[in-house]
Amino acid sequence: MVSNKTNSNDPLFTPDFSLKQKIRLWLGALFHVKQFDRQLDSELRFHVEKQTEAGIRAGMSGPDARRAALREFGNVDLTKEECRDERGTRFLEQFWQDARFGLRMLRKNPGFAAVVVLTLALGIGANTAIFSVVNSVLLRPLPYPQPYQLVELELKLQRGDLIDSMTVPQFQFFRDHSSVFQSVAGFRGGFDISLKQGQTIDWVTSAQVTDNFFRVLGASPAMGREFVRDETRPGGPATTILTDEIWRKTFGADPEIIGRQINLDDKSYTVVGVMPRGFKLVDGPADVFIPLHLGNSMSDQGTNTDVLARLKNNESIHEAQADMAVVYDQFHRQDVTQGNDAGVQLVGYQDSLVSDVKPSLLLLFGAVGFLLLVACANVASLLLARASARQAEISIRLALGARRGRLVRQFITESLLMALLGGAAGLPAATWLLKTLTASIPFILPASVSVNLDGTVLAFTFLVAIATSVVFGLASFRQTTKLDLNSSLKESSKGSAGIARNHTGRILVIVEVALSVTMLIGAGLLMESLYRLRHQDIGFDPQNVITMTTPYTPPKNTPLAAVWNSQQMIMNRIKALPGVVSVAVVNVPPLVGGGNMPAQRQGHNENSIGGMEIREISQEFFKTLRIPVLQGRGFVESDTESSVPVAVINQNVARKWWNGASPIGDHLIVGMFNGKRYTDNPRPLEVVGVVADVKGKTIRGDAPPTVYLPASQLMTDGNPPRGWVIRTENGVNISSELRTIVTEVIPAQRVMLLLSMQQVIGISVASTNFDSLLMGLFAALALLLTAVGIYGVLSFTVAQRTHEIGIRVALGARRIDVLRLVVGQGMVLAWMGIGIGILAALGLTRFLETMLFNVQPIDAPTYAAVAVALTGVALLASYLPARRAMRVDPITALRNE
Amino acid sequence: MTTNPIKSDLLQGTLDLLILKTLAAGPMHGYGVSLRIQEISSDALQVRQGSLYPALHRLERRGWIMSEWGDSENNRKAKFYRLTRAGKRQLGIEESNWERLKAAIGQVLSAV
Repeated sequence: MVSNKTNSNDPLFTPDFSLKQKIRLWLGALFHVKQFDRQLDSELRFHVEKQTEAGIRAGMSGPDARRAALREFGNVDLTKEECRDERGTRFLEQFWQDARFGLRMLRKNPGFAAVVVLTLALGIGANTAIFSVVNSVLLRPLPYPQPYQLVELELKLQRGDLIDSMTVPQFQFFRDHSSVFQSVAGFRGGFDISLKQGQTIDWVTSAQVTDNFFRVLGASPAMGREFVRDETRPGGPATTILTDEIWRKTFGADPEIIGRQINLDDKSYTVVGVMPRGFKLVDGPADVFIPLHLGNSMSDQGTNTDVLARLKNNESIHEAQADMAVVYDQFHRQDVTQGNDAGVQLVGYQDSLVSDVKPSLLLLFGAVGFLLLVACANVASLLLARASARQAEISIRLALGARRGRLVRQFITESLLMALLGGAAGLPAATWLLKTLTASIPFILPASVSVNLDGTVLAFTFLVAIATSVVFGLASFRQTTKLDLNSSLKESSKGSAGIARNHTGRILVIVEVALSVTMLIGAGLLMESLYRLRHQDIGFDPQNVITMTTPYTPPKNTPLAAVWNSQQMIMNRIKALPGVVSVAVVNVPPLVGGGNMPAQRQGHNENSIGGMEIREISQEFFKTLRIPVLQGRGFVESDTESSVPVAVINQNVARKWWNGASPIGDHLIVGMFNGKRYTDNPRPLEVVGVVADVKGKTIRGDAPPTVYLPASQLMTDGNPPRGWVIRTENGVNISSELRTIVTEVIPAQRVMLLLSMQQVIGISVASTNFDSLLMGLFAALALLLTAVGIYGVLSFTVAQRTHEIGIRVALGARRIDVLRLVVGQGMVLAWMGIGIGILAALGLTRFLETMLFNVQPIDAPTYAAVAVALTGVALLASYLPARRAMRVDPITALRNE
Repeated sequence: MTTNPIKSDLLQGTLDLLILKTLAAGPMHGYGVSLRIQEISSDALQVRQGSLYPALHRLERRGWIMSEWGDSENNRKAKFYRLTRAGKRQLGIEESNWERLKAAIGQVLSAV
């Protein structure tokens, strides 16, 4: 009968072993290893003593009995090991043991530990940083339902390039004639318009969208409704849909918002819907949505409308593409215009958003991954350099019966420790790297992206740390045990060791040097490109020029004359500011944007340009920017509304259409293309002058064909140009005065862009800037790793050849000979690496060509400079091991046989 | 004794069974268990100490026996093991398993 009495003296008492007791036992075994061992020892000892006594009682002598008892017992230590094994805490105990051992080792060699942790920190940190960008940009799906059904319709040009927008007629045709999609919608985004409430004016970003835009995205308004078809015709009802944020922020989450009239762009709009919270337009920021008017205006004829569609369920993009090709042909056949396009291309929406970023990003990711591998190899090489100390330890442990698996586990635990430390140290490095890079990223990441170190990224870092530790732990273990075998075989002749062994280490260094060389060459070429880009002839003098844009829509029924008058007032006041040399207006300042229209030479239909850049300028424009007038004249006072309509062209047009003959006096027509009309009243303009080419929207490309029109002859057509260029004297800063003048003359007008021309150029070269920054960082990293690598390999060599060096010194070698020996080895490796690196660079730089500007990929001075730099680094890295070699005392070296 | 003692490595399972059975009679230290098994089997079974002590520790980890330090016959400190309730249940299971095994082997051996 089992009772519950806690009477432990009862021989038949069988207590129950509660869970708590079990846990306590387990924890006890874990943390009180010493105590457990002592107890185990007493227990076994007791047994042996009892056995001895039994032996004595049986008649044996004391010592005989004891010996018999021990023999009877068997291998005491083995038994102890097995008992410990049975505790079940073995694995954890060993892990803990190994970890403590590893920490002790690191503490004893702080220099070594620092180098290892730093190398790993850089490698892992770089990977973490790049991965977080990759994760945010490429991996995270778009925040819409079934985002993979979303496709963007793009036009394929004859050259094969894609442009991501099309004309309104094209959009309408595709929308009405293709049953390929669930729904198709068009949009134009990113216009800043005013939002007036009483006296306060806010500026908000608007997006113009067609009637089923939100349906395509898979979202629907939380309040109210979407736009209807009628609202997208020109002159249709002025309605608007707000985003949740604007509704809360500006309208105080008014529950009666639907049906309310608000003042947008100085016009009255009725609110018909509010989007749900969290809805975002990924293409760009948008606060309010207004209907996209599909009409026949000039901008509708241009490729200005983006088209988004949702595929039918179970339909692949290829099927849809095939169908669309048919539709496109149909359109083509009945189309009048014929721009440069040759087909329509369906691109997955997410792909189209990241397409310019994706290849570079993936390349980057591959590059840092590779770099991490190199870093790991480096660390393994460093571990190897200290291998000689551990050889004894390993041989003894193996001899004592330790299983190889156990030793491997120890190595891996130590490596894991270093890798985790490296990973932890890498996180601040990653944060810094991320901040530096995102500050200079020249492209705009999709709006929904916030690049930061989130949970996924941290998990990734952790995994990478573990993986790297396994890699270099195994590598160094393998090398160490290989050494062990070698040394036991070559016990007597520690002769010409170093050269034969450690092939991997030497190959590694050569690879690292080659890598550094290629990257440094790349970085050098890019930086030179950057320099040339910045200092090229852009067609005008950007020094001391400020550019500004002041968008403004005057209230309805304001007479045009009054609007132009205010503009003139602003101009006069700016001119009157101290330090201002000249002022001009232009519809689009150079390098800021573009605006084109079809145009042709009068009487010569074959001289037609579909995308002629049009600049409406004031008289002083050429003077302000110091654009030379090469033939004829610029615009003068006498060019008024009542005089002959004139135009000035740039060299590009003159060459294309007149080919050396003088264009002065000849006529061109803006708004006509190949004999067909594109505006309501295309006007013939007399060419009165030719100016030098000026860069258009981008600083890289050639100057586009441009026609300049005098603002003074457009005063009855529409609003004045809203861009300004202002030349000041050296060192004059008038930013705040400019803003004051603008708002004083027209309170509702605001300054949107206000930069110096140099800043604008800076923005234009941002992508090359970024590329060279990146390449530079990589090169620096590679260089660091190379230095560490050379140091590691040479240290190892010196350690292995200590004996030999001792002999040499004893036989009369001078310190300098030893120095030459060590450094010589380093230089041999370095020069092999440099050679390979230069060859590789010659082969690879064709890939760099697209990023370079006016720089030949094979640039002798750059290559030479890099070779010199790496030689220097190799010398520096060889210094410490060489110094150690020089200090070798022949007596101790020879004694430690 | 006419037969030679079987000094083989008993299968882990059977050793566990023997230990549990021995401890069912009352708490004992390791030496006592080994002696007892030897006695009761009339010297046929001599448990190797190399197997005994790991087995004792294993059984303790599984919660079938528990240990405590106490005084041995001559007032020396020794580690005593005793059966737990779970251990008692396990003993029953092991015994019935053993019976079934014995029967099965017997059948095989008696078949021609």
